[in-house]
Amino acid sequence: MSDNKQKLSDLNVIVAGQGGDGSLTVVNVLADILRGAGLRVYTERDVLSRIKGGITAATLRAYDGERLCISSDIDLFVAFDQAAIGKYAFRLNERSTVIYDSSNGEISSDNLLPENVRLIGVPLSRYAVKHFRRDIYKNSISFAVIGRLIGLKDDDMKRSFEKRFGRRGAQALKYNLDALEVGCALADESGLEVGKGRFEIESSDSEPHMLITGNEAVAFGFAVSGGRLFAGYPITPSTDVMEWLVKWLPKFGGVVKQAEDELSAINMAIGSALTGTRTMTATCGPGIALMQEGIGQLGMAEIGVVIVDAQRSGPSTGMPTKPEQSDINLLCYGGAGDFPRVVLAPGTPEECFFLAVDANNLAEKYQLPVFMCLDQGLSQNTATINPIDLNKVEIYRGDRLDEKQLASQDVYKRYNFTESGASNFAPPGTPGGMGLVTGNEHDEFGLVSTDPVNRNKMVEKRAKKMVSMIPELPRAISHGVETADIGFIGVGMCYGVILEAMDLLAEKGIHAQYHQVRTLWPMLDETPAFTARCKNIFVVEYNATGQLAKLIIAHGGEESNISSILRYDGIPMQAKDLVSQVMTKLNLKEDEVA
Amino acid sequence: MTKTFTPARPIWCAGCGDFGVLQALVGAMEELNIPPHERFVTAGIGCSGSLQNNLSCYGYHTLHGRVLPTVTGAKLANPELTVVGVGGDGDGYAIGGGHLMHAFKRNPGITYIVMNNGTYGLTKGQASPTAPTGYQDNVEEDLDPVMLGLSIPGSTFIARAYSGQPAQLLRLTKAALEHTAAGGGMSYLEVLSPCVTYNDTYRDWRTSVYDVDEEEGYEPTNRAMAFTRMQELREDGRLPLGLIYTGERPSLESLSLNMDFVAPALQDITKPDLSGVCNDALQSFIK
Repeated sequence: MSDNKQKLSDLNVIVAGQGGDGSLTVVNVLADILRGAGLRVYTERDVLSRIKGGITAATLRAYDGERLCISSDIDLFVAFDQAAIGKYAFRLNERSTVIYDSSNGEISSDNLLPENVRLIGVPLSRYAVKHFRRDIYKNSISFAVIGRLIGLKDDDMKRSFEKRFGRRGAQALKYNLDALEVGCALADESGLEVGKGRFEIESSDSEPHMLITGNEAVAFGFAVSGGRLFAGYPITPSTDVMEWLVKWLPKFGGVVKQAEDELSAINMAIGSALTGTRTMTATCGPGIALMQEGIGQLGMAEIGVVIVDAQRSGPSTGMPTKPEQSDINLLCYGGAGDFPRVVLAPGTPEECFFLAVDANNLAEKYQLPVFMCLDQGLSQNTATINPIDLNKVEIYRGDRLDEKQLASQDVYKRYNFTESGASNFAPPGTPGGMGLVTGNEHDEFGLVSTDPVNRNKMVEKRAKKMVSMIPELPRAISHGVETADIGFIGVGMCYGVILEAMDLLAEKGIHAQYHQVRTLWPMLDETPAFTARCKNIFVVEYNATGQLAKLIIAHGGEESNISSILRYDGIPMQAKDLVSQVMTKLNLKEDEVA
Repeated sequence: MTKTFTPARPIWCAGCGDFGVLQALVGAMEELNIPPHERFVTAGIGCSGSLQNNLSCYGYHTLHGRVLPTVTGAKLANPELTVVGVGGDGDGYAIGGGHLMHAFKRNPGITYIVMNNGTYGLTKGQASPTAPTGYQDNVEEDLDPVMLGLSIPGSTFIARAYSGQPAQLLRLTKAALEHTAAGGGMSYLEVLSPCVTYNDTYRDWRTSVYDVDEEEGYEPTNRAMAFTRMQELREDGRLPLGLIYTGERPSLESLSLNMDFVAPALQDITKPDLSGVCNDALQSFIK
């Protein structure tokens, strides 16, 4: 081994090609090996709303520490299709290496690519067809070349193939292992012999980590917190929530029902919640729009359901596979009439899990809609996290009456007036009880009423919940330097980018505080207070109108201290971009500071 | 005994067909000894949508048109309840029409009673999906929900009654509840229930109804025969009543729920099985 080899501490790889080329498989297997080598991994996908074809990419970061975003510096770009090179060239720099399929001819360093990019042409497709009569094996062939380049051991590659393809039967495993071997021979021909890799990568028996997406973590949190019925309608990028629950919820004693549309999904959820069952649905903007009447019903009729919004680019059908955070207004303000609601915004998969637990507790105790505000990036990107400590899960159900408790009361009113605004609840089936639930204005018994005195009391009762729940709402987390006069606010997939940008700024001697708000509605005093203290706050969001910034300002945030950094082109931000935008806004030149 | 709500007096016009439906539903549930706390009665929007207020039960007033998804969710969550959905023809066939075919197809263990009067009474008499051509300014052909139900292979119980014939109405309501209680899945009962104010059809319907229960040779287990007879009677300008079709298919909940557990609504969820299934799920992410 040569002495100049670096220990691998940060590796960023893009694998791109036509949809169906197997880019995602390459990234997943690579993630698995690097995870085994003790690194944290984060993967992202850039796909189109079609089953096959079109240029798609999967991106991986392996990092010695926690990073929930892809770096601005791409080390390796693998292109199964030369068309992909043009699409992603802008992400490369002079230190990047490009492995491309040269089956249709070599490319010269075309002017799209930065100068000095190392180009390695390998006839992947030609060899796949030659050896296996099927183009599909080109990704396994490419894997050997990638592995050799970065310094994976042949044995480690083989083992991870056994793990990955073993489940698909002996035949599939054999062909893929053969393809790996063909790839190793090709690597030898391309000057990438064993031991010539760029990094030194040792597999280690490090602490086990979970590899999980935000959607999976929300689904898992729902199940552990006692969620027992999920009703949903498939819609990208929320569908993985349902997919995970289809597999797991029955093992928890629960049930998943795929509805005919979102109107049905939210109303199935209502029917389930009415029986005293913890219930959730998941969708994204268009689905929230369709569910809106049902969400108002949850508020008015006082029914607790958790609604996951995996936000995607809007408006309307928008860009279904691309990230955005443009439903914030819809979640906080959407619907006819005044009704209480909660909007929680996790930043990491671990928070997706624990906020899902909180969301279910709040929904049941306060009997109202609780939104989980995610975005395509947080929902679908995979990240390694420390194993979730399940002992931290606490479940509370509010004033739920069983037969005995009901019998000890002189009177049972479904909508009794209380200090907190939340009423007692005897689930249907509870002997000795009867009760009425309705979305019409009603008296304490649930009988329809338009009496003005009762009306005022009922409106106030529902509104009171928004105050009484405050002690239980997830607080913002502060990262960085608490006295800094540069601040960041951002939710969901902004989390990882903001933290990395803060590290890059710190290297320049610029210190910042990240106020990671986790309850968007009701907006807690902590956030306007932060905007009053910190003089240069950047609210980073994926939408065109600064919805989060405006929400904060509407709640007393100090407008003169806030500026927005917005992105709505469907492409995830990178830390360096964010840093340069911040520098520009601060009127600082990159070379003016340390 | 704990005091709860006192069932309200119906808000319907004197002579409304819905009185007959209420009476039959209460009578059938009493005859079948279904105690009030086991009744989960859900009503849609419209005049019929207040029925749950008028009997002893756990009642729910849905959004307009959403009776069927609501009762499907409720039944999956707690199959031990007697789950009854009621509504009008506007609620069930217009704004909620899309859900009807999926409910037939799914066959959840619920009873669905539609009070069909061919008009939107609560909004003063607009044509509903079952209004005949020529009613108000209706140029469309009327919808035949019974034939719709028959056309969906998953349907297991289809009946029609007339609030002007209370004995048959009671019998069919009971039969519907029994079909569902026996695990047969969804029972669908349409009740011709005239609106005396905007579409008083008592006189017409008295003469045009036709009872297949009384027809010799009619086999309600024969879907093709049922469909053919419905079409013939329609062409003759008749309104078929009776048990029109009954078939066998397992209920949705029997096919969907994990029977190793009690109903989802009845599980004690406050102490999750951390070392069992929770840990299995966690380990699946570690691999």
